[in-house]
Amino acid sequence: MVDAIGAGLWALVGNPQTMGLMLIAVLIGLIVGATPGIGGRLSIALAIPFVFGMDMTQGAVFLLTMHAVNGTSGQISSIMFGVPGDGDDAATTIDGYPMAKKGEAGRALGASITASGVGGIIGAGVFAVMIPLLEPVVLAFSPAEFFLLAILGITFIAFLAGKGQIFKGMIVGLFGMMLATVGMDPQTGTARYAGDYLFLWDGLSLVTAVLAIFAVPEMISLAARGGSISALSAETAHFSYRQLFQGVLEVPRHWFLALRTSIIGAMIGMVPGLGGSAAAWMCYGHAVQTSKHPERFGHGAVEGVIAPETASNAKEGGSLLPTLFFGIPGSSGMAVLMGAFLILGIQPGPAMMTTNLDLVWTLIWALVVGNLIAVSFLLFITRWVALLTFVNGAMLVPFILVLVTVGAYANEGQWENLVILLVISVVGWGLMRWDWPRAPFVIGLVLGKIAEESLHKALGLWGLGFFTRPLSLVLIGMIAVTIAYALYNNLRGKNAMPVGAGS
Amino acid sequence: MTMFKTSLAGFVALAALAAPASAQDGAAYFNGKTVNYIVATAPGGGYDSYGRLVAEFMQKHLPGSTFVVRNMPGAGHLIGTNALYASKPDGLTLGTFNTGLIYNQLVANEGVKFDLNKFSWIGKAASDARVFAVASQSPIKTWADLVGAKEPVNFSTAGVGSASYVETVILTKALKLPIRIQTGYNGADDQLAMRRGEIVGSIASRSSYDQFVKNGYGRYIAQIGGADKDTPQLNTLVKDANGLELIALIESTSEIARLTAAPPAVPAPQLAALRDAYKKAMEDADLQARAEKLERPVEPLYGDDIAKMIAAALKQSPETVALLKESMSKK
Repeated sequence: MVDAIGAGLWALVGNPQTMGLMLIAVLIGLIVGATPGIGGRLSIALAIPFVFGMDMTQGAVFLLTMHAVNGTSGQISSIMFGVPGDGDDAATTIDGYPMAKKGEAGRALGASITASGVGGIIGAGVFAVMIPLLEPVVLAFSPAEFFLLAILGITFIAFLAGKGQIFKGMIVGLFGMMLATVGMDPQTGTARYAGDYLFLWDGLSLVTAVLAIFAVPEMISLAARGGSISALSAETAHFSYRQLFQGVLEVPRHWFLALRTSIIGAMIGMVPGLGGSAAAWMCYGHAVQTSKHPERFGHGAVEGVIAPETASNAKEGGSLLPTLFFGIPGSSGMAVLMGAFLILGIQPGPAMMTTNLDLVWTLIWALVVGNLIAVSFLLFITRWVALLTFVNGAMLVPFILVLVTVGAYANEGQWENLVILLVISVVGWGLMRWDWPRAPFVIGLVLGKIAEESLHKALGLWGLGFFTRPLSLVLIGMIAVTIAYALYNNLRGKNAMPVGAGS
Repeated sequence: MTMFKTSLAGFVALAALAAPASAQDGAAYFNGKTVNYIVATAPGGGYDSYGRLVAEFMQKHLPGSTFVVRNMPGAGHLIGTNALYASKPDGLTLGTFNTGLIYNQLVANEGVKFDLNKFSWIGKAASDARVFAVASQSPIKTWADLVGAKEPVNFSTAGVGSASYVETVILTKALKLPIRIQTGYNGADDQLAMRRGEIVGSIASRSSYDQFVKNGYGRYIAQIGGADKDTPQLNTLVKDANGLELIALIESTSEIARLTAAPPAVPAPQLAALRDAYKKAMEDADLQARAEKLERPVEPLYGDDIAKMIAAALKQSPETVALLKESMSKK
């Protein structure tokens, strides 16, 4: 085993050509990740013709790195402009953008970029440790557990909404869950709330909804308010590398949170069926729930940036596990990656353990080294990028709205989504204007769908008794404790509403 | 409008008869032109791989042309297929979609805004044999075991109304199989569920299960279509006439996989040039080598042969159509 670990590392860093390819892969992955609406899956599909000439190790390293660093750059626009590139990044927006508004874009970016890197590396560690435990862990999660996990995630809404706002949070969350029912129902074959519009059969576009709820209202507010995104000028905010490094240091300061959310993220990635965005949102909820000061969240708490970013990069390491060792891809992105591996002559399956152990370790190392390169590169350029938050909004808003429009269109290539963008933006603006929490909406949208689908499956398979499986009972216990704690907290804290909430 | 289209198609067919060797003139037309190739799914996966391969090599064999692949996913291939059908028939728009849409057209499903009989067929690149795949830990080892099972066993499908659901329902009903259908398993969900044991089997395309079976997680107990010798053909295991008719329908659907089509009434010289370029692409040694690396077999058929097979598949008895209709939605 130790031989394989060393050989795997040497196959990566000992070969200048492989390292060169990896650098290119990191760059492409970062650029694709920074562009709203375009996912990592597309970049791999487009890169496939280029890997035909590469050897097995180089090709695999190239594609995996490109995929793995995708989530690292998406946070830049989420934090600076409140424009999330996809569902994962939306969780980062909730606290990242308020930080930028306070003139702390540098600190937020420093923390989030470092968190991504740390998450990616811990994810690789979880990958390595979990190899022998893969089978029992992955196979323990069935639709019954997915349903309960989704419900657990939904109960976090109680904490996200902030004290005294639990009912507002529930209403917004239910609204999100309601919109999650739009589309073709897999259980009946009926198109729900879709009218004659085929594009609604696949459900509401998550990217469009997220842009409408977060980005557009913020831009309206910025345009109406005048000035720049940051309320402070660059000088008063002491904007410098120093601020960036303060951000970097936030991650070791919150090391225990970063470790927990990385592990949770990797585990969610490892168990196919929960979907990518669930990891970031469940970890954001976890950070709020375990914080001593949950009221700070939504107003620029650095933990709210660290948690989703560690999770979204850590899940890549996790989701590689079933792909490589079962030959069963954990996500659509991994399905494309697996197809590309076949071209390179890699046969995913249990035999990987014996026949290709060196390659497995090279891939683990590629996750580590790729994340390190991405983090250093981004930290280096961020100093200049973050300056944009001090630019006058009048110059910035048109460009950002173009970015938002392109993102909403490019994700599915359907112009109808622009109409949806407009309609939901009105809702988003209303929520913001009257100080209602917006995060529960996305939680409802993301987890509502998973909850509904897995509930139907579980009922079909086991009937009403589905929740008596042992792991299900544990999850039910966790849900009960969460709800009790939320109620206790909310009722007790009713008179201690934090000042300045929503400003 | 439809009459106009039909008469136009007739006219074009006549023109094609009058000037059969117009591929040469047609090819010149594509010089300097951009051809859009619509893939009715998201990037990645079978349709996308074949689509990109076909586009790349048709471009090679149509000098001066530029092929651009456009993914138009949504509504189970309906969005992309409707768009392809409605696009201008100037030979500059082609596309690929799921042959399972035959079922949607047979029952006149909502959302179908095309007539498969009227597409200008270019060719198909592969066949997609269906298998009954069963988890290896299940006591069901042969077709006879399945038929004789005392308790109904769980089989997974994608959503209600999808091609996999329709095929599973009609086979279950017609052959009176002890199968309980669990829906909503997308992507590779079904394989994981088979490993967990909650799902016993699935009627799926063989190409998506080969890896699973190779890894020792499952086995095939029957197959529809394809030339593989390791699994008995379903139509040799079944005697019921109605059942055989349905198996034949599924087989013809599986036969015409990874197809390429253009909108109705593409002018004859352009169509001839496209078919010619498609044929050259399929016979190109480079394409074959690439396809083999992708583990995507190439078993091509061309032009009018496809049109004939589609027409045959769309001629079904009222009983079959009624059964399909019943299986398209629950209750």
